[in-house]
Amino acid sequence: MVNSKHQWKAWIYLAPAIAVLLVFTVWPIFNTVRMAFLENYSGLEATNGATFSFGVGNFVKVLKYKRFISCLKNTMILCVLTVPISTILALLIAVGLNSIKPLQKILQTIFFLPYVTNSIAIGMVFAAMFNIVGAFYGTENELIVTAGIINNVIEFFGGTPVNWINYGSQYSANIAVMTVYIVWNALPFKILVLLGGLQSINKQYYDAARVDGSSRRRIFARITVPLLSPMLAYVVITGFIGGFKEYTSIVGIFGENMGPADDAGRLNTMVGFIYDSLSTNSQGRASAAALILFGIILVVTLLNLYVSKKKVHY
Amino acid sequence: MNDVKMETMSEKDMRRVAIRQAIVKGLVKFGVYAFLIIMALIVLFPFYWMINSSLKTLDEYRMSVPTFWPHKVMISNYASAYKTANLGKLFVNTVIVGVVSTILSLVITVLSAFAFARLEFKGKDMLFAGLLATMMIPGELFTITNYGTVTQLGWTNTYTVLIVPFLVSVFYIYLLRQNFLQIPNELYLAAKVDGTSDLKYLWRVMIPLALPTLISITILKMMGAWNSYIWPRLVANDAAHRLITNGLRNAFTETTGDVNYPVQMAAVALVSLPLFLVFVFLRKYIMQGVSRSGTKG
Amino acid sequence: MKVVLENVTKRFPNRDKKIKTEVTAVNNVSFTIPDGKLIGLLGPSGCGKSTTLFMICGLHKITEGKIFFGEDDVTNLSPENRGVGLVFQNYALYPHMTVKQNIMFPMENFKGEDKLTKEQMLERTMEVAKLVQLDGLLERKPSELSGGQQQRVAIARALVKMPRVLLLDEPLSNLDARLRLQTREEIRRIQRETKITTVFVTHDQEEAMSISDEIVVMKDGVVQQMGVPQTVYQDPANLFVAKFLGTPPINVFTGKVSGGALYIGSEKIMATPGVIDQDVYVGIRPEGFVVNDNGVLTCDFRQVETMGGFMSVVSTHENSENPIIRSTVTDEVKIAEDAKTVKFDIKPNKIYIFNKETEERIRIEG
Repeated sequence: MVNSKHQWKAWIYLAPAIAVLLVFTVWPIFNTVRMAFLENYSGLEATNGATFSFGVGNFVKVLKYKRFISCLKNTMILCVLTVPISTILALLIAVGLNSIKPLQKILQTIFFLPYVTNSIAIGMVFAAMFNIVGAFYGTENELIVTAGIINNVIEFFGGTPVNWINYGSQYSANIAVMTVYIVWNALPFKILVLLGGLQSINKQYYDAARVDGSSRRRIFARITVPLLSPMLAYVVITGFIGGFKEYTSIVGIFGENMGPADDAGRLNTMVGFIYDSLSTNSQGRASAAALILFGIILVVTLLNLYVSKKKVHY
Repeated sequence: MNDVKMETMSEKDMRRVAIRQAIVKGLVKFGVYAFLIIMALIVLFPFYWMINSSLKTLDEYRMSVPTFWPHKVMISNYASAYKTANLGKLFVNTVIVGVVSTILSLVITVLSAFAFARLEFKGKDMLFAGLLATMMIPGELFTITNYGTVTQLGWTNTYTVLIVPFLVSVFYIYLLRQNFLQIPNELYLAAKVDGTSDLKYLWRVMIPLALPTLISITILKMMGAWNSYIWPRLVANDAAHRLITNGLRNAFTETTGDVNYPVQMAAVALVSLPLFLVFVFLRKYIMQGVSRSGTKG
Repeated sequence: MKVVLENVTKRFPNRDKKIKTEVTAVNNVSFTIPDGKLIGLLGPSGCGKSTTLFMICGLHKITEGKIFFGEDDVTNLSPENRGVGLVFQNYALYPHMTVKQNIMFPMENFKGEDKLTKEQMLERTMEVAKLVQLDGLLERKPSELSGGQQQRVAIARALVKMPRVLLLDEPLSNLDARLRLQTREEIRRIQRETKITTVFVTHDQEEAMSISDEIVVMKDGVVQQMGVPQTVYQDPANLFVAKFLGTPPINVFTGKVSGGALYIGSEKIMATPGVIDQDVYVGIRPEGFVVNDNGVLTCDFRQVETMGGFMSVVSTHENSENPIIRSTVTDEVKIAEDAKTVKFDIKPNKIYIFNKETEERIRIEG
């Protein structure tokens, strides 16, 4: 009765959304796949009339490409470091927040602050903080003295300052800084979700466990964590997915150089690789890399889902 | 089963246990507070350092023993920052893009969410499932093609290219649809019986009832425009259309070496300020919007 | 293990933060629960019975007073150290554990010399499961069980650590009527077998009366009366207790004692030697009416309701505090359908008089 009118109306309401999605979401999916399989595809050359053969050449080239391997390595290392650290830290903070009444709101607000900041802007602050103290070489010949609070603190406690991100710094130091920054950025969302999960656990389970004589540690391990496991799984999965797409935080700290002054691109990630390829008009390469990235994310997510099926209690 | 009873404890033991309990409880509470406050200070530290640094002279900034509050407060740093980074123009650009894209996006999102929540049509479930599937795909995949598309359309270095591709967020449609579904269907049917048109019903009933979600979406979208970097950098990098994050980063390209850090920090502070203000006043909506994505799993 | 409450008081800060005065949920309550008995804490909602229960358990801190388990002062002991078992109203079964894991959980918390081996834990679990008739359901999760089954798991979990005291918070309120009758017998059976001192909270007086060794009636945080159910029923301490116990409820009239006799309206009902002249409330149990054409109390007849072997005579009286008066009589009585009035004799042990101000019972000598 009303139905046929509904059909018509519904499609009109959805028309703008569908139009935009078709052009900017659906078409790109097919096109990117297409370009990935067109060997050496370059948009620029395509407009000039070049043709390309169909094959997996792009993938092969990408996988053998040293730059790609380095980007892949960076992405993996950062993921493996930041996801567990930020999750565990967020869990501890959320549990702590859940157990106190005064100050809870204020602390919650403070912990949420990094979420509303500009990843690149605050990255610049972190870069300033991790600069080195004392004389060093800006370029080959300049002697510059700058201050970085982190090193100041280290010196204060009697340690030797570390060259974190400047010219001549070590890879491990760079990764350390990136880890700290990425974790700092990742905490708010995780804390919010985990705290919400904790607050939704019926207090009676805690009461029952107390009457049953459980110590705090037991309550945490046998009651809190299992009942929180759906949230934990969500946080871990999204953490990994986000981790694989890490890019702007590196730009934030190192600038477009993506590395210390003497080794540009050292910290570049998969996403960075894709954009670099784009700007050199190698869409074929970019598409192949993007598909590989998507594949990795898919596999890791499926792995996570499989593990959560076994360990998560719904 | 009946004969075993728990050992009875003497009154002195009882008291000792009670005292020990109280001490342990106190220690734990203290430990929790200490941990949380230390973490909170760590989280806050960069902000403090940003403000602190931004108000120093370059020389004071460079001192090997840092000061925790500038001896000479250089408010002029902010003026320099504003000029160097051309923050005025950047700000205007970003606001234009943000406001226009938010309004258009809201309209599309509301119409789409309404269609999925209240209207019956063939293929609804399949279409919705398809939309949800696209959420799983990383944005970079789209960017590659979209870059080509907008170049061909000649949209580079315009406002259009910054607005149109992001008008539709499947996530926001999903969020709003959930909210609409919670509004009882009887209201809709009653309105229909009264002869109300769909759009009128939307405007007078559903939108007011779903206002918190809409506000969350608005805020998140504006923040998105403010923080956007990759796409604008790629497609609209000229001075006339550059957005604020892009501009900020590239006005101060060096982060190491001879950099006027205080001015840089002042710029960062200026850029972060609007976000901070939004957070202070509208934090409830932001946190609700973000956490709703969490609880829906 | 007897439980002694000594001047126990519990005050809560007012929920409305603007009001500074606290709410007194339990007011100076003292009573002793004898070892090995099944005690019912009975009262209307909000009377403080659950709060009292939680204080015995340790989940609520006592504002004033002391609680003893046997000779031990447990007032400041936290629940995990008191050795109590608590069955929550909503069972609070750990949803992510199976029935067996739920039951074993308390035993895993035993420390030191009380620690049990895996075999011992399993053995006890099986014993308790058999006691509450749960065998066969051990591998299920709580969500796969019916309400009655869930409750038995909750009881098993409380029992398995062989508590000194077993506490049940409104154990039957979530069950349907049929299950309620069945389960309350179960509770009594289990208590008789284990001989654990047991306290349960309920607002259903029939339930409390039927299975308790003793009942404690509470109202507004104060103990109204404690005793063997039949005694409390037959010898109520005040009007509230008299009204709270008994189905159908007691019939209340306003009356007057004058010159050593009780009058309802103008009719002399009985002699009250030693009672000073005063206005009183009169309570007459439904089973205290005997239809007699020469009876002392005249009521306006409404109708007769028969239910099986019982007859209820429904009537009204201008001095009645209830809208109708219900009198249960045997079905041999015959009343004409068009009768306007009906006269009753009153059994002397079914009529009580109460002070009109304090509502305390006035006991008649002799």
